[in-house]
Amino acid sequence: MADSNPIKINKEFVRILEDKKSVSRGWMWFFGLVILVGLVAFVMQVVYGHEVTGMRDNVVWGVYIINFIFFVGVSYSGAFISGILHFFDTPWKSAVARIVEIITVLSLVIGPIFILLCIGRLDRLHYLFIYPRIQSPITWDVIAIITDLVGCFIYLYLTFIPDFAILRDNEDLNVAPWRKKMYRFLAINYKDTPEQKATLKKITRTMSAMIIAMAIVAYTVLAWIFSLTLQPGWNSTIFAPYFIIAGLYSGVGVIIICMFLIRKYLRLEHYIRKVHFVGAGIILLILALLFGYFTFSEYFARWFSHKTNDINLLDTLFDDYFWQFIFANYIGGLVPAIILFFKRFRTINFITFAAVIAVLGLWLNRYLIVVPTLETPYLPIQDTRPEFIHYTATWVEWALSFAGIAAFCLMFMLLIRFVPVIPVSELHEDMTNAKKKAQIKANKK
Amino acid sequence: MKHHVKNNRFPFRQLIILLLILQYGNVGYGQEEEFDLGAYRVRFSVQTTKNPDQTRTFGVEYYVQNKKDRKDRIPVKDAEIIFYNSTENEEVKLGSASTDVEGVAELNVPDSQKYMTDEEGLINVEARFEGSADLKNQTESVTFKDLFLKLELEEIDSVKTVTVRAFTLDSLQNEIPEDDIDVIVSVGGMLSRMPIEEETTDEGSFEIEFPDDIRGDKDGNFKVFAFVDDSDDFGTVLASEDSDWGVFDDISKPPKNELWTEAAPIWMYVVLTILLVGVWANYVYTLIKLRSISKST
Repeated sequence: MADSNPIKINKEFVRILEDKKSVSRGWMWFFGLVILVGLVAFVMQVVYGHEVTGMRDNVVWGVYIINFIFFVGVSYSGAFISGILHFFDTPWKSAVARIVEIITVLSLVIGPIFILLCIGRLDRLHYLFIYPRIQSPITWDVIAIITDLVGCFIYLYLTFIPDFAILRDNEDLNVAPWRKKMYRFLAINYKDTPEQKATLKKITRTMSAMIIAMAIVAYTVLAWIFSLTLQPGWNSTIFAPYFIIAGLYSGVGVIIICMFLIRKYLRLEHYIRKVHFVGAGIILLILALLFGYFTFSEYFARWFSHKTNDINLLDTLFDDYFWQFIFANYIGGLVPAIILFFKRFRTINFITFAAVIAVLGLWLNRYLIVVPTLETPYLPIQDTRPEFIHYTATWVEWALSFAGIAAFCLMFMLLIRFVPVIPVSELHEDMTNAKKKAQIKANKK
Repeated sequence: MKHHVKNNRFPFRQLIILLLILQYGNVGYGQEEEFDLGAYRVRFSVQTTKNPDQTRTFGVEYYVQNKKDRKDRIPVKDAEIIFYNSTENEEVKLGSASTDVEGVAELNVPDSQKYMTDEEGLINVEARFEGSADLKNQTESVTFKDLFLKLELEEIDSVKTVTVRAFTLDSLQNEIPEDDIDVIVSVGGMLSRMPIEEETTDEGSFEIEFPDDIRGDKDGNFKVFAFVDDSDDFGTVLASEDSDWGVFDDISKPPKNELWTEAAPIWMYVVLTILLVGVWANYVYTLIKLRSISKST
């Protein structure tokens, strides 16, 4: 049960914000090192060009675009879930809302970096803005990502304001002066007056509705980049909802993993409880079933229509990518569903295990959407070297991929040292509401 | 162990090469010893086409077809075919042509050629292949009447009208109208003719109203064809006339606001503007409200 004393709550989170000798420091060095290796890989890619990657004339998209889709999917699903939590004022939002919001923004910062790594002529990037083609889904995606990023930042900030005010007013907080100044600046004179509270609640609620809509629109646009082409495996009418379901699935998985790690390493067992994991686990179960349903519909229709190019693609998937296909679409969907279906398996460890399987399966699912299609084009590939036909990611691509994950983790760790990982203001509010309810009950008796 | 695997692979490769040779080998490339001609049926046919300039083309298609698998057709190339105009009593050599890689030989005969006919006015042309070491001789003939197709293009009361007449000539060169002949009217295209209408002659002719949305070339010109397609009595007969009835200018104006033009469809601008203005206006509203929070005490 969460602590019911506001002073104790404040102290609990001040401990995390002030913590200078935590195990996180070692992890930060580790993530920093991974990012450094990624930077070396990046320099190599800039100097030698895309030759150092596995991308060639036929397979022009590799793990970069897969990471992009994955991170952006996690972000949109985070935005969607966060919007739902705030809009409907969900009972256990205080435990997970901040985690979801941070995941949303960080994923949306990391994701588009991968698309930049994918571009061969970065010097022409500004052409996208100088000569935009309104009919192109790429242009829609650029607009959607920029708009969504700004919206997510504003939304995240709105949810942070009451906590900044609490931190500003906390005289016992022992942090660097610049941080105190920062809290004062970011708290924008918020005093939690009824008027300010009402205004903040109103604009947060409006933004949460907008964020839900934006997440759906933006991820739909991302799916259209694929489905509006005629490529076998991509040209599908259900690709947009399929992407949204898959994005939500992986997003909930990442949220559960983050909840597990934060709970364990920040010792927040009182706040992030089993009930939150079970709730998230049931959502993961529903999404696993929906993901399985969409995946089956997608591949069954391709197999049944028996169009030559679709059959070629399915042959590639079942011959060259058999185990990856099994893991992505069978294990990645069925194992989490089976684990979460049985009540006895709904423990924190099992739910986290199911989330890990879901996240890995979904990353691989993206790989199987992108690469085998490019390896099975409409026009047969002839008279070319095997490495031009078949894609294999190089160490440069893996280094940059892991650097992206490391950057995500590092920024997450830095952010939760700057603001409370659980909204303290909402815990206060929950506590006040609980007291009021208890008072009303007592009066009735 | 490795050595054992290698030994296993070697005959496998040879087998693939052998299968490929069997698959792609044909009569003319040294596969005679393995090629069993007995499994194939010889196909030898002759057709005639009367061209718009009144010349005539005689064509022979020569190939062998697998008795069991009819899709397995192998053309006979470089076979010399000699064409004769023959009657019961005599024959005149028209010329000769060799089959190409498709197994087709074509002989073009000028319009000045006088054909011998039988008492019913029928022309008989025989195509002969004298035979080779592997293939037997072949003879096939085609008997036809010399049909004339005349095509007239005329605007009658602003209606573009095509008149087709079909007739034969008697011994005194008088026109004899031919009834019940199926004629297809079409226009020429870059790759093939586009059919406009199919009609049957009545008292040797018919009229059709020509559509007014055919584009033609850059000057609005195109060729109109009338043809009888592989008739038992006349073979294939073609007639053509040049026309300036095209309406090419209609598409010379560049399209606007389409998916493929520089400017997008109007609705796209409208939807995108509404969406973006709606979202960004909300951002601005939020920032204004935040400012009001910071100013309030």
